[in-house]
Amino acid sequence: MLRFVLIEAGRLLLGLLGAALMGAAIASVAHAGDGVLQFFSVWGEQLFSFARLRFGDSAISGLPIVTELATSLPLTLGLLLEGIVVASLIGIPVGFLFGMGAARRAAAPLIQIAAAVPIFCAGLALAYLAVNFLQWPVQLDGPAWFGSAVFPRSLAEAQAALLPALTVGLAGASAVQVVMSRAAATIAREPWRTQLYRMGLSRWDVEWIYVVPQIFAALFAHLGEVMLSLLSATAVAEWVFSRPGAADLFVKSVALRDWNAAGAIMLVFASLTLIADFMGRCAAHPLISRGTVR
Amino acid sequence: MTDTVTISPVGQSLRGLLRTAGWIGLGLTVVAVSLSDFLATAPAGASGIGPILAPPSAAFQFGTDVLGRDMLSETVHGLSMTVRAAIPAALVALFVGALSGFSAARLAVPLALSFRWLAGILAAMPALLLAVLVIGLTARGWAALAAGVSAAPLGFVRAFDRARVQMTTAHWNYAHATGLSRSALLRRDLVYEFRDVFAASAARALAAVTIILSTLSFLGFGAEPPRRDLGLMIAAAKAYYLHAWWTAAFPALALTILILFARLAAGLDEGERP
Repeated sequence: MLRFVLIEAGRLLLGLLGAALMGAAIASVAHAGDGVLQFFSVWGEQLFSFARLRFGDSAISGLPIVTELATSLPLTLGLLLEGIVVASLIGIPVGFLFGMGAARRAAAPLIQIAAAVPIFCAGLALAYLAVNFLQWPVQLDGPAWFGSAVFPRSLAEAQAALLPALTVGLAGASAVQVVMSRAAATIAREPWRTQLYRMGLSRWDVEWIYVVPQIFAALFAHLGEVMLSLLSATAVAEWVFSRPGAADLFVKSVALRDWNAAGAIMLVFASLTLIADFMGRCAAHPLISRGTVR
Repeated sequence: MTDTVTISPVGQSLRGLLRTAGWIGLGLTVVAVSLSDFLATAPAGASGIGPILAPPSAAFQFGTDVLGRDMLSETVHGLSMTVRAAIPAALVALFVGALSGFSAARLAVPLALSFRWLAGILAAMPALLLAVLVIGLTARGWAALAAGVSAAPLGFVRAFDRARVQMTTAHWNYAHATGLSRSALLRRDLVYEFRDVFAASAARALAAVTIILSTLSFLGFGAEPPRRDLGLMIAAAKAYYLHAWWTAAFPALALTILILFARLAAGLDEGERP
Protein backbone atom coordinates (compact mmCIF):
# COMPACT_ATOMS: atom_id res chain seq x y z
CA MET A 1 0.00 0.00 0.00
CA LEU A 2 2.81 2.41 0.95
CA ARG A 3 4.55 1.76 -2.38
CA PHE A 4 1.30 2.43 -4.23
CA VAL A 5 0.71 5.70 -2.34
CA LEU A 6 4.27 6.82 -3.02
CA ILE A 7 3.92 6.12 -6.75
CA GLU A 8 0.60 7.96 -6.84
CA ALA A 9 2.10 10.85 -4.86
CA GLY A 10 4.86 11.03 -7.47
CA ARG A 11 2.24 11.16 -10.22
CA LEU A 12 0.39 13.87 -8.31
CA LEU A 13 3.55 15.95 -7.96
CA LEU A 14 4.30 15.59 -11.66
CA GLY A 15 0.73 16.65 -12.44
CA LEU A 16 0.93 19.64 -10.13
CA LEU A 17 4.24 20.63 -11.71
CA GLY A 18 2.61 20.47 -15.15
CA ALA A 19 -0.37 22.50 -13.93
CA ALA A 20 2.00 25.12 -12.48
CA LEU A 21 3.92 25.25 -15.78
CA MET A 22 0.67 25.80 -17.63
CA GLY A 23 -0.66 28.37 -15.17
CA ALA A 24 2.62 30.29 -15.36
CA ALA A 25 2.53 30.13 -19.16
CA ILE A 26 -0.97 31.63 -19.17
CA ALA A 27 0.09 34.36 -16.77
CA SER A 28 2.96 35.17 -19.16
CA VAL A 29 0.72 35.47 -22.23
CA ALA A 30 0.73 39.26 -22.00
CA HIS A 31 4.45 39.12 -22.91
CA ALA A 32 3.98 36.76 -25.85
CA GLY A 33 4.26 39.64 -28.30
CA ASP A 34 7.67 40.71 -26.92
CA GLY A 35 9.51 37.82 -28.52
CA VAL A 36 10.12 34.20 -27.64
CA LEU A 37 13.08 34.85 -25.35
CA GLN A 38 11.21 37.50 -23.38
CA PHE A 39 8.23 35.15 -23.05
CA PHE A 40 10.36 32.30 -21.69
CA SER A 41 12.12 34.68 -19.32
CA VAL A 42 8.78 35.92 -17.93
CA TRP A 43 7.49 32.34 -17.83
CA GLY A 44 10.43 31.32 -15.62
CA GLU A 45 9.86 34.28 -13.32
CA GLN A 46 6.14 33.49 -13.09
CA LEU A 47 6.89 29.86 -12.28
CA PHE A 48 9.24 30.95 -9.50
CA SER A 49 6.53 33.29 -8.16
CA PHE A 50 3.89 30.55 -8.38
CA ALA A 51 6.15 28.27 -6.32
CA ARG A 52 6.03 30.94 -3.57
CA LEU A 53 2.24 31.31 -4.05
CA ARG A 54 2.66 34.81 -5.46
CA PHE A 55 0.32 35.22 -8.40
CA GLY A 56 0.76 38.94 -9.05
CA ASP A 57 -1.96 41.58 -9.27
CA SER A 58 -5.27 41.55 -11.10
CA ALA A 59 -5.30 43.64 -14.28
CA ILE A 60 -8.98 44.43 -13.65
CA SER A 61 -9.20 45.39 -9.98
CA GLY A 62 -5.53 46.05 -9.26
CA LEU A 63 -5.81 43.87 -6.15
CA PRO A 64 -3.41 40.98 -5.50
CA ILE A 65 -4.71 37.76 -7.07
CA VAL A 66 -4.42 36.06 -3.66
CA THR A 67 -6.93 38.58 -2.27
CA GLU A 68 -9.26 37.99 -5.22
CA LEU A 69 -8.99 34.23 -4.68
CA ALA A 70 -9.58 34.60 -0.93
CA THR A 71 -12.92 36.26 -1.77
CA SER A 72 -14.09 34.12 -4.68
CA LEU A 73 -12.64 30.66 -4.01
CA PRO A 74 -14.61 29.97 -0.79
CA LEU A 75 -17.83 30.56 -2.75
CA THR A 76 -16.77 28.07 -5.41
CA LEU A 77 -15.56 25.52 -2.87
CA GLY A 78 -18.80 25.96 -0.92
CA LEU A 79 -20.82 25.37 -4.08
CA LEU A 80 -18.65 22.35 -4.91
CA LEU A 81 -19.20 20.95 -1.43
CA GLU A 82 -22.96 21.46 -1.69
CA GLY A 83 -22.84 19.83 -5.12
CA ILE A 84 -20.91 16.86 -3.75
CA VAL A 85 -23.53 16.38 -1.01
CA VAL A 86 -26.39 16.49 -3.55
CA ALA A 87 -24.45 14.26 -5.97
CA SER A 88 -23.84 11.69 -3.22
CA LEU A 89 -27.42 11.77 -1.96
CA ILE A 90 -28.86 11.32 -5.45
CA GLY A 91 -26.09 9.67 -7.46
CA ILE A 92 -25.17 6.79 -5.13
CA PRO A 93 -28.72 5.41 -4.59
CA VAL A 94 -29.53 5.93 -8.27
CA GLY A 95 -26.24 4.26 -9.25
CA PHE A 96 -27.12 1.20 -7.15
CA LEU A 97 -30.69 1.19 -8.44
CA PHE A 98 -29.54 1.32 -12.05
CA GLY A 99 -27.04 -1.43 -11.33
CA MET A 100 -30.06 -3.70 -11.29
CA GLY A 101 -30.95 -4.84 -14.78
CA ALA A 102 -34.71 -4.40 -14.65
CA ALA A 103 -34.59 -0.85 -13.25
CA ARG A 104 -31.77 0.02 -15.63
CA ARG A 105 -33.75 -1.04 -18.70
CA ALA A 106 -36.92 0.69 -17.50
CA ALA A 107 -35.21 3.99 -16.77
CA ALA A 108 -32.73 3.94 -19.66
CA PRO A 109 -34.67 6.16 -22.10
CA LEU A 110 -35.43 8.73 -19.39
CA ILE A 111 -31.79 8.80 -18.25
CA GLN A 112 -30.58 9.20 -21.84
CA ILE A 113 -32.83 12.22 -22.31
CA ALA A 114 -31.86 13.72 -18.94
CA ALA A 115 -28.15 13.27 -19.73
CA ALA A 116 -28.56 15.04 -23.07
CA VAL A 117 -29.69 18.28 -21.39
CA PRO A 118 -26.78 20.77 -21.20
CA ILE A 119 -26.07 22.01 -17.67
CA PHE A 120 -26.99 25.62 -18.43
CA CYS A 121 -30.39 24.50 -19.76
CA ALA A 122 -30.93 22.45 -16.59
CA GLY A 123 -30.01 25.48 -14.44
CA LEU A 124 -32.40 27.75 -16.32
CA ALA A 125 -35.16 25.12 -16.10
CA LEU A 126 -34.69 24.87 -12.33
CA ALA A 127 -34.85 28.65 -12.04
CA TYR A 128 -38.04 28.72 -14.12
CA LEU A 129 -39.70 26.07 -11.93
CA ALA A 130 -38.60 27.86 -8.71
CA VAL A 131 -39.94 31.23 -9.85
CA ASN A 132 -43.18 30.16 -11.48
CA PHE A 133 -44.24 27.24 -9.28
CA LEU A 134 -42.62 27.92 -5.90
CA GLN A 135 -42.55 31.74 -6.11
CA TRP A 136 -38.90 31.80 -4.98
CA PRO A 137 -36.88 34.99 -5.46
CA VAL A 138 -34.28 34.09 -8.10
CA GLN A 139 -31.69 36.53 -9.43
CA LEU A 140 -30.44 35.61 -12.91
CA ASP A 141 -29.01 38.91 -14.11
CA GLY A 142 -26.87 41.51 -12.45
CA PRO A 143 -24.78 41.14 -9.28
CA ALA A 144 -25.57 38.39 -6.79
CA TRP A 145 -28.29 39.78 -4.63
CA PHE A 146 -27.16 38.26 -1.36
CA GLY A 147 -23.56 39.32 -1.54
CA SER A 148 -20.68 36.96 -1.18
CA ALA A 149 -21.75 34.85 1.80
CA VAL A 150 -20.59 31.23 1.59
CA PHE A 151 -23.46 29.89 3.67
CA PRO A 152 -27.02 31.28 3.60
CA ARG A 153 -28.18 33.37 6.57
CA SER A 154 -31.90 33.46 5.85
CA LEU A 155 -34.62 31.50 4.09
CA ALA A 156 -34.40 33.71 1.00
CA GLU A 157 -30.65 33.18 0.81
CA ALA A 158 -31.11 29.45 1.31
CA GLN A 159 -33.61 29.37 -1.56
CA ALA A 160 -31.18 31.27 -3.76
CA ALA A 161 -28.30 28.97 -2.75
CA LEU A 162 -30.27 25.78 -3.35
CA LEU A 163 -30.68 26.22 -7.12
CA PRO A 164 -26.96 26.43 -8.01
CA ALA A 165 -26.25 23.60 -5.55
CA LEU A 166 -28.92 21.49 -7.23
CA THR A 167 -27.54 22.33 -10.69
CA VAL A 168 -24.02 21.29 -9.68
CA GLY A 169 -25.30 18.31 -7.70
CA LEU A 170 -27.37 16.95 -10.56
CA ALA A 171 -24.37 17.12 -12.89
CA GLY A 172 -22.29 15.35 -10.25
CA ALA A 173 -25.03 12.79 -9.61
CA SER A 174 -25.07 11.98 -13.31
CA ALA A 175 -21.30 11.34 -13.25
CA VAL A 176 -21.54 9.29 -10.03
CA GLN A 177 -24.36 7.07 -11.24
CA VAL A 178 -22.59 6.43 -14.55
CA VAL A 179 -19.41 5.26 -12.84
CA MET A 180 -21.37 3.05 -10.44
CA SER A 181 -23.66 1.57 -13.10
CA ARG A 182 -20.67 0.87 -15.34
CA ALA A 183 -18.83 -0.84 -12.48
CA ALA A 184 -21.92 -2.88 -11.60
CA ALA A 185 -22.26 -3.99 -15.21
CA THR A 186 -18.58 -4.99 -15.37
CA ILE A 187 -18.69 -6.89 -12.09
CA ALA A 188 -21.83 -8.71 -13.19
CA ARG A 189 -19.78 -10.37 -15.93
CA GLU A 190 -16.91 -11.41 -13.62
CA PRO A 191 -16.55 -15.19 -13.21
CA TRP A 192 -15.61 -14.93 -9.52
CA ARG A 193 -19.20 -14.11 -8.58
CA THR A 194 -20.42 -17.47 -9.88
CA GLN A 195 -17.53 -19.17 -8.12
CA LEU A 196 -18.48 -17.52 -4.82
CA TYR A 197 -22.06 -18.78 -5.20
CA ARG A 198 -20.72 -22.27 -5.90
CA MET A 199 -18.71 -22.09 -2.69
CA GLY A 200 -22.04 -21.84 -0.87
CA LEU A 201 -22.05 -18.14 -0.01
CA SER A 202 -25.46 -16.52 0.16
CA ARG A 203 -26.50 -13.82 -2.29
CA TRP A 204 -26.42 -11.26 0.53
CA ASP A 205 -22.81 -12.16 1.42
CA VAL A 206 -21.63 -12.03 -2.17
CA GLU A 207 -23.30 -8.69 -2.83
CA TRP A 208 -22.45 -6.82 0.34
CA ILE A 209 -19.04 -8.28 1.17
CA TYR A 210 -17.60 -8.56 -2.34
CA VAL A 211 -19.62 -6.62 -4.91
CA VAL A 212 -20.52 -3.37 -3.11
CA PRO A 213 -16.90 -2.58 -2.10
CA GLN A 214 -15.86 -3.07 -5.73
CA ILE A 215 -18.52 -0.63 -6.93
CA PHE A 216 -17.34 1.95 -4.38
CA ALA A 217 -13.75 1.25 -5.43
CA ALA A 218 -14.71 2.12 -9.01
CA LEU A 219 -16.38 5.31 -7.78
CA PHE A 220 -13.26 6.32 -5.84
CA ALA A 221 -10.99 5.43 -8.75
CA HIS A 222 -12.97 7.82 -10.98
CA LEU A 223 -13.18 10.66 -8.47
CA GLY A 224 -11.13 12.90 -10.79
CA GLU A 225 -13.71 12.40 -13.54
CA VAL A 226 -16.52 13.28 -11.11
CA MET A 227 -14.59 16.38 -10.00
CA LEU A 228 -14.30 17.53 -13.62
CA SER A 229 -18.09 17.28 -14.02
CA LEU A 230 -18.60 19.20 -10.78
CA LEU A 231 -16.14 21.96 -11.76
CA SER A 232 -17.75 22.41 -15.20
CA ALA A 233 -21.17 22.57 -13.59
CA THR A 234 -19.90 25.04 -11.00
CA ALA A 235 -18.66 27.39 -13.73
CA VAL A 236 -22.04 27.29 -15.46
CA ALA A 237 -24.05 27.56 -12.22
CA GLU A 238 -22.04 30.59 -11.08
CA TRP A 239 -22.68 32.27 -14.42
CA VAL A 240 -26.39 31.43 -14.54
CA PHE A 241 -27.12 32.38 -10.93
CA SER A 242 -24.73 35.37 -10.76
CA ARG A 243 -22.55 33.96 -7.99
CA PRO A 244 -19.19 35.75 -7.88
CA GLY A 245 -17.08 32.61 -7.41
CA ALA A 246 -13.68 31.64 -8.80
CA ALA A 247 -15.10 29.98 -11.94
CA ASP A 248 -17.07 33.13 -12.70
CA LEU A 249 -13.90 35.14 -12.08
CA PHE A 250 -11.99 32.90 -14.51
CA VAL A 251 -14.52 33.53 -17.29
CA LYS A 252 -14.46 37.29 -16.67
CA SER A 253 -10.65 37.30 -16.40
CA VAL A 254 -10.26 35.61 -19.79
CA ALA A 255 -12.83 37.96 -21.34
CA LEU A 256 -10.94 41.01 -19.98
CA ARG A 257 -7.45 39.57 -20.66
CA ASP A 258 -6.48 39.40 -16.98
CA TRP A 259 -3.99 36.57 -17.55
CA ASN A 260 -2.53 36.60 -14.02
CA ALA A 261 -5.92 35.74 -12.57
CA ALA A 262 -6.72 33.23 -15.34
CA GLY A 263 -3.41 31.39 -14.83
CA ALA A 264 -3.81 31.23 -11.04
CA ILE A 265 -7.42 29.99 -11.23
CA MET A 266 -6.50 27.39 -13.83
CA LEU A 267 -3.75 26.13 -11.52
CA VAL A 268 -6.23 25.90 -8.63
CA PHE A 269 -8.84 24.01 -10.69
CA ALA A 270 -6.34 21.59 -12.21
CA SER A 271 -4.91 20.98 -8.72
CA LEU A 272 -8.39 20.22 -7.36
CA THR A 273 -8.92 17.59 -10.07
CA LEU A 274 -5.47 16.07 -9.62
CA ILE A 275 -5.82 15.92 -5.82
CA ALA A 276 -9.31 14.37 -6.10
CA ASP A 277 -7.88 11.80 -8.52
CA PHE A 278 -4.99 11.03 -6.14
CA MET A 279 -7.24 10.68 -3.09
CA GLY A 280 -9.73 8.56 -5.02
CA ARG A 281 -7.04 6.20 -6.29
CA CYS A 282 -5.57 5.81 -2.81
CA ALA A 283 -9.03 5.12 -1.34
CA ALA A 284 -9.83 2.63 -4.10
CA HIS A 285 -6.58 0.68 -3.86
CA PRO A 286 -7.24 -1.26 -0.61
CA LEU A 287 -10.78 -2.07 -1.76
CA ILE A 288 -9.56 -3.38 -5.11
CA SER A 289 -6.68 -5.27 -3.49
CA ARG A 290 -9.08 -6.94 -1.08
CA GLY A 291 -11.46 -7.97 -3.84
CA THR A 292 -10.84 -9.76 -7.08
CA VAL A 293 -11.55 -7.06 -9.64
CA ARG A 294 -8.65 -5.30 -11.28
CA MET B 1 -27.93 -6.62 -7.14
CA THR B 2 -25.96 -6.78 -10.33
CA ASP B 3 -26.65 -10.21 -11.65
CA THR B 4 -29.09 -9.13 -14.33
CA VAL B 5 -27.13 -6.36 -16.02
CA THR B 6 -25.28 -8.64 -18.42
CA ILE B 7 -26.41 -7.52 -21.87
CA SER B 8 -28.90 -10.02 -23.22
CA PRO B 9 -29.56 -10.56 -26.95
CA VAL B 10 -32.73 -8.47 -26.50
CA GLY B 11 -30.70 -5.72 -24.84
CA GLN B 12 -28.13 -5.84 -27.62
CA SER B 13 -30.78 -5.58 -30.32
CA LEU B 14 -32.38 -2.68 -28.42
CA ARG B 15 -29.00 -0.94 -28.31
CA GLY B 16 -28.56 -1.54 -32.03
CA LEU B 17 -32.03 -0.14 -32.66
CA LEU B 18 -31.33 2.97 -30.55
CA ARG B 19 -27.99 3.47 -32.31
CA THR B 20 -29.70 3.27 -35.70
CA ALA B 21 -32.36 5.71 -34.49
CA GLY B 22 -29.58 8.07 -33.42
CA TRP B 23 -27.90 7.95 -36.84
CA ILE B 24 -31.24 8.44 -38.62
CA GLY B 25 -31.91 11.43 -36.35
CA LEU B 26 -28.49 12.90 -37.11
CA GLY B 27 -29.10 12.34 -40.83
CA LEU B 28 -32.44 14.13 -40.63
CA THR B 29 -30.79 16.96 -38.72
CA VAL B 30 -28.18 17.36 -41.46
CA VAL B 31 -30.96 17.45 -44.06
CA ALA B 32 -32.85 20.06 -42.02
CA VAL B 33 -29.66 22.11 -41.68
CA SER B 34 -28.92 22.03 -45.38
CA LEU B 35 -32.52 23.07 -46.13
CA SER B 36 -32.70 25.63 -43.30
CA ASP B 37 -33.21 28.58 -45.66
CA PHE B 38 -36.23 26.81 -47.17
CA LEU B 39 -37.66 25.46 -43.92
CA ALA B 40 -37.51 28.80 -42.11
CA THR B 41 -40.28 31.19 -43.06
CA ALA B 42 -38.18 34.27 -42.17
CA PRO B 43 -34.52 35.09 -42.79
CA ALA B 44 -32.10 34.78 -39.88
CA GLY B 45 -32.37 37.68 -37.43
CA ALA B 46 -35.36 39.30 -39.20
CA SER B 47 -37.09 41.41 -36.53
CA GLY B 48 -40.64 42.78 -36.51
CA ILE B 49 -42.06 39.67 -38.19
CA GLY B 50 -44.77 39.48 -35.53
CA PRO B 51 -45.84 41.12 -32.27
CA ILE B 52 -43.35 41.27 -29.41
CA LEU B 53 -43.20 38.18 -27.16
CA ALA B 54 -46.28 36.56 -28.69
CA PRO B 55 -46.86 33.07 -27.25
CA PRO B 56 -47.02 30.04 -29.57
CA SER B 57 -50.08 30.23 -31.86
CA ALA B 58 -51.26 29.04 -35.26
CA ALA B 59 -49.51 31.99 -36.90
CA PHE B 60 -46.26 31.63 -34.92
CA GLN B 61 -45.91 27.99 -33.86
CA PHE B 62 -42.92 28.70 -31.57
CA GLY B 63 -44.04 32.24 -30.68
CA THR B 64 -41.96 35.39 -31.13
CA ASP B 65 -39.17 36.97 -29.11
CA VAL B 66 -38.59 40.44 -27.68
CA LEU B 67 -37.74 41.84 -31.13
CA GLY B 68 -40.75 40.21 -32.79
CA ARG B 69 -38.59 37.54 -34.48
CA ASP B 70 -40.28 34.28 -35.46
CA MET B 71 -38.89 31.72 -32.97
CA LEU B 72 -39.49 28.76 -35.32
CA SER B 73 -37.36 30.33 -38.04
CA GLU B 74 -34.77 31.49 -35.52
CA THR B 75 -34.56 28.00 -34.00
CA VAL B 76 -34.02 26.43 -37.44
CA HIS B 77 -31.28 28.98 -38.24
CA GLY B 78 -29.76 28.54 -34.77
CA LEU B 79 -29.72 24.75 -35.19
CA SER B 80 -28.04 25.21 -38.55
CA MET B 81 -25.35 27.44 -37.01
CA THR B 82 -24.76 24.99 -34.16
CA VAL B 83 -24.44 21.95 -36.43
CA ARG B 84 -22.19 23.77 -38.93
CA ALA B 85 -19.79 24.64 -36.10
CA ALA B 86 -20.07 21.29 -34.32
CA ILE B 87 -19.10 19.08 -37.29
CA PRO B 88 -15.60 20.54 -37.84
CA ALA B 89 -15.14 20.77 -34.05
CA ALA B 90 -15.97 17.06 -33.70
CA LEU B 91 -13.47 16.20 -36.44
CA VAL B 92 -10.78 18.23 -34.65
CA ALA B 93 -11.59 16.46 -31.35
CA LEU B 94 -11.47 13.10 -33.08
CA PHE B 95 -8.15 13.57 -34.87
CA VAL B 96 -6.31 15.64 -32.24
CA GLY B 97 -7.76 13.52 -29.44
CA ALA B 98 -8.64 9.90 -30.10
CA LEU B 99 -6.50 9.13 -33.14
CA SER B 100 -3.46 11.04 -31.88
CA GLY B 101 -3.74 9.34 -28.50
CA PHE B 102 -4.00 5.94 -30.14
CA SER B 103 -0.94 6.64 -32.27
CA ALA B 104 1.09 8.34 -29.50
CA ALA B 105 0.84 5.21 -27.36
CA ARG B 106 2.95 3.38 -29.99
CA LEU B 107 5.82 5.88 -29.84
CA ALA B 108 9.02 5.25 -27.91
CA VAL B 109 8.17 4.98 -24.21
CA PRO B 110 9.71 8.29 -22.98
CA LEU B 111 8.06 10.25 -25.78
CA ALA B 112 4.74 8.44 -25.37
CA LEU B 113 4.69 9.04 -21.62
CA SER B 114 5.58 12.72 -22.13
CA PHE B 115 2.59 13.17 -24.44
CA ARG B 116 0.40 11.27 -21.98
CA TRP B 117 1.60 13.54 -19.15
CA LEU B 118 0.85 16.68 -21.15
CA ALA B 119 -2.58 15.44 -22.19
CA GLY B 120 -3.28 14.37 -18.59
CA ILE B 121 -2.62 17.89 -17.34
CA LEU B 122 -4.89 19.42 -19.97
CA ALA B 123 -7.52 16.79 -19.19
CA ALA B 124 -7.40 17.85 -15.52
CA MET B 125 -8.98 21.14 -16.55
CA PRO B 126 -12.73 21.17 -17.34
CA ALA B 127 -13.06 21.15 -21.14
CA LEU B 128 -15.42 24.13 -21.01
CA LEU B 129 -12.92 26.35 -19.19
CA LEU B 130 -10.14 25.14 -21.48
CA ALA B 131 -12.25 26.20 -24.47
CA VAL B 132 -12.87 29.61 -22.86
CA LEU B 133 -9.12 29.96 -22.43
CA VAL B 134 -8.35 28.98 -26.04
CA ILE B 135 -10.86 31.54 -27.32
CA GLY B 136 -9.38 34.15 -25.00
CA LEU B 137 -5.97 33.43 -26.47
CA THR B 138 -7.25 33.50 -30.07
CA ALA B 139 -10.58 35.01 -31.13
CA ARG B 140 -14.31 34.28 -30.88
CA GLY B 141 -14.31 33.23 -34.51
CA TRP B 142 -12.21 30.23 -33.48
CA ALA B 143 -14.91 28.80 -31.21
CA ALA B 144 -15.31 25.60 -33.24
CA LEU B 145 -11.57 24.92 -33.17
CA ALA B 146 -11.44 25.78 -29.46
CA ALA B 147 -14.28 23.36 -28.68
CA GLY B 148 -12.57 20.60 -30.64
CA VAL B 149 -9.16 21.21 -29.10
CA SER B 150 -10.54 21.39 -25.57
CA ALA B 151 -12.49 18.15 -25.96
CA ALA B 152 -9.38 16.42 -27.36
CA PRO B 153 -7.26 15.82 -24.20
CA LEU B 154 -9.80 13.50 -22.59
CA GLY B 155 -10.17 11.59 -25.87
CA PHE B 156 -6.38 11.45 -26.16
CA VAL B 157 -6.00 10.00 -22.66
CA ARG B 158 -8.74 7.42 -23.15
CA ALA B 159 -7.39 6.30 -26.54
CA PHE B 160 -3.81 6.26 -25.24
CA ASP B 161 -4.71 4.08 -22.25
CA ARG B 162 -6.77 1.74 -24.44
CA ALA B 163 -3.88 1.38 -26.87
CA ARG B 164 -1.42 0.69 -24.04
CA VAL B 165 -3.70 -2.08 -22.76
CA GLN B 166 -3.86 -3.52 -26.29
CA MET B 167 -0.05 -3.58 -26.38
CA THR B 168 0.04 -5.88 -23.37
CA THR B 169 -2.29 -8.47 -24.91
CA ALA B 170 -1.00 -11.84 -26.07
CA HIS B 171 -2.00 -11.35 -29.72
CA TRP B 172 -0.04 -8.09 -29.90
CA ASN B 173 3.04 -9.81 -28.50
CA TYR B 174 2.65 -12.74 -30.91
CA ALA B 175 2.26 -10.36 -33.86
CA HIS B 176 5.34 -8.47 -32.72
CA ALA B 177 7.26 -11.71 -32.28
CA THR B 178 6.55 -12.72 -35.89
CA GLY B 179 8.76 -9.82 -36.97
CA LEU B 180 6.06 -7.24 -37.79
CA SER B 181 7.42 -3.76 -37.26
CA ARG B 182 5.83 -1.31 -34.81
CA SER B 183 4.68 0.88 -37.70
CA ALA B 184 3.04 -2.06 -39.47
CA LEU B 185 1.26 -2.98 -36.23
CA LEU B 186 0.17 0.63 -35.80
CA ARG B 187 -1.23 0.74 -39.35
CA ARG B 188 -3.10 -2.52 -38.76
CA ASP B 189 -4.50 -1.38 -35.41
CA LEU B 190 -5.50 2.00 -36.87
CA VAL B 191 -7.49 0.17 -39.55
CA TYR B 192 -9.27 -1.82 -36.85
CA GLU B 193 -9.74 1.35 -34.80
CA PHE B 194 -11.34 3.12 -37.78
CA ARG B 195 -13.46 0.12 -38.67
CA ASP B 196 -14.69 -0.67 -35.16
CA VAL B 197 -14.97 2.57 -33.25
CA PHE B 198 -14.64 5.50 -35.68
CA ALA B 199 -18.37 6.10 -36.18
CA ALA B 200 -19.13 5.78 -32.47
CA SER B 201 -16.19 8.03 -31.56
CA ALA B 202 -17.30 10.64 -34.10
CA ALA B 203 -20.82 10.69 -32.68
CA ARG B 204 -19.40 10.83 -29.14
CA ALA B 205 -17.18 13.77 -30.13
CA LEU B 206 -20.16 15.47 -31.79
CA ALA B 207 -22.18 15.24 -28.56
CA ALA B 208 -19.26 16.57 -26.52
CA VAL B 209 -18.43 19.54 -28.76
CA THR B 210 -22.10 20.46 -29.20
CA ILE B 211 -22.39 20.81 -25.42
CA ILE B 212 -19.15 22.82 -25.24
CA LEU B 213 -20.02 25.05 -28.22
CA SER B 214 -23.51 25.88 -27.01
CA THR B 215 -22.25 26.57 -23.48
CA LEU B 216 -19.50 28.81 -24.90
CA SER B 217 -22.10 30.80 -26.79
CA PHE B 218 -24.24 30.97 -23.67
CA LEU B 219 -21.27 32.43 -21.77
CA GLY B 220 -20.61 34.92 -24.58
CA PHE B 221 -17.53 33.25 -26.06
CA GLY B 222 -19.05 31.48 -29.06
CA ALA B 223 -21.22 32.71 -31.91
CA GLU B 224 -21.13 36.45 -32.54
CA PRO B 225 -24.32 38.46 -33.11
CA PRO B 226 -26.11 38.98 -35.43
CA ARG B 227 -25.39 35.31 -36.33
CA ARG B 228 -26.90 33.32 -33.49
CA ASP B 229 -26.58 29.65 -32.60
CA LEU B 230 -28.80 27.86 -30.11
CA GLY B 231 -26.59 28.71 -27.10
CA LEU B 232 -26.63 32.40 -27.91
CA MET B 233 -30.41 32.33 -28.45
CA ILE B 234 -30.86 30.84 -24.98
CA ALA B 235 -28.46 33.41 -23.50
CA ALA B 236 -30.45 36.21 -25.11
CA ALA B 237 -33.68 34.78 -23.72
CA LYS B 238 -32.28 34.64 -20.17
CA ALA B 239 -33.51 38.15 -19.38
CA TYR B 240 -37.19 37.44 -20.07
CA TYR B 241 -37.74 33.68 -20.39
CA LEU B 242 -39.16 33.49 -16.85
CA HIS B 243 -42.28 35.20 -18.22
CA ALA B 244 -41.99 34.06 -21.87
CA TRP B 245 -40.89 30.41 -21.62
CA TRP B 246 -41.04 29.77 -25.37
CA THR B 247 -38.09 32.07 -26.07
CA ALA B 248 -35.71 29.66 -24.32
CA ALA B 249 -37.66 26.39 -24.36
CA PHE B 250 -37.65 25.72 -28.12
CA PRO B 251 -33.94 26.42 -28.72
CA ALA B 252 -33.15 24.32 -25.62
CA LEU B 253 -35.35 21.52 -26.92
CA ALA B 254 -33.66 21.59 -30.34
CA LEU B 255 -30.24 21.51 -28.66
CA THR B 256 -31.22 18.63 -26.39
CA ILE B 257 -32.61 16.62 -29.29
CA LEU B 258 -29.41 17.14 -31.31
CA ILE B 259 -27.25 15.98 -28.37
CA LEU B 260 -29.61 13.06 -27.73
CA PHE B 261 -29.29 11.86 -31.35
CA ALA B 262 -25.49 12.07 -31.11
CA ARG B 263 -25.49 10.19 -27.80
CA LEU B 264 -27.75 7.46 -29.18
CA ALA B 265 -25.59 7.15 -32.30
CA ALA B 266 -22.49 6.84 -30.10
CA GLY B 267 -24.16 4.13 -28.02
CA LEU B 268 -23.24 5.94 -24.81
CA ASP B 269 -24.30 4.34 -21.57
CA GLU B 270 -27.20 5.90 -19.74
CA GLY B 271 -26.16 9.18 -18.20
CA GLU B 272 -22.55 8.91 -19.41
CA ARG B 273 -21.06 12.28 -20.24
CA PRO B 274 -19.35 12.19 -23.63
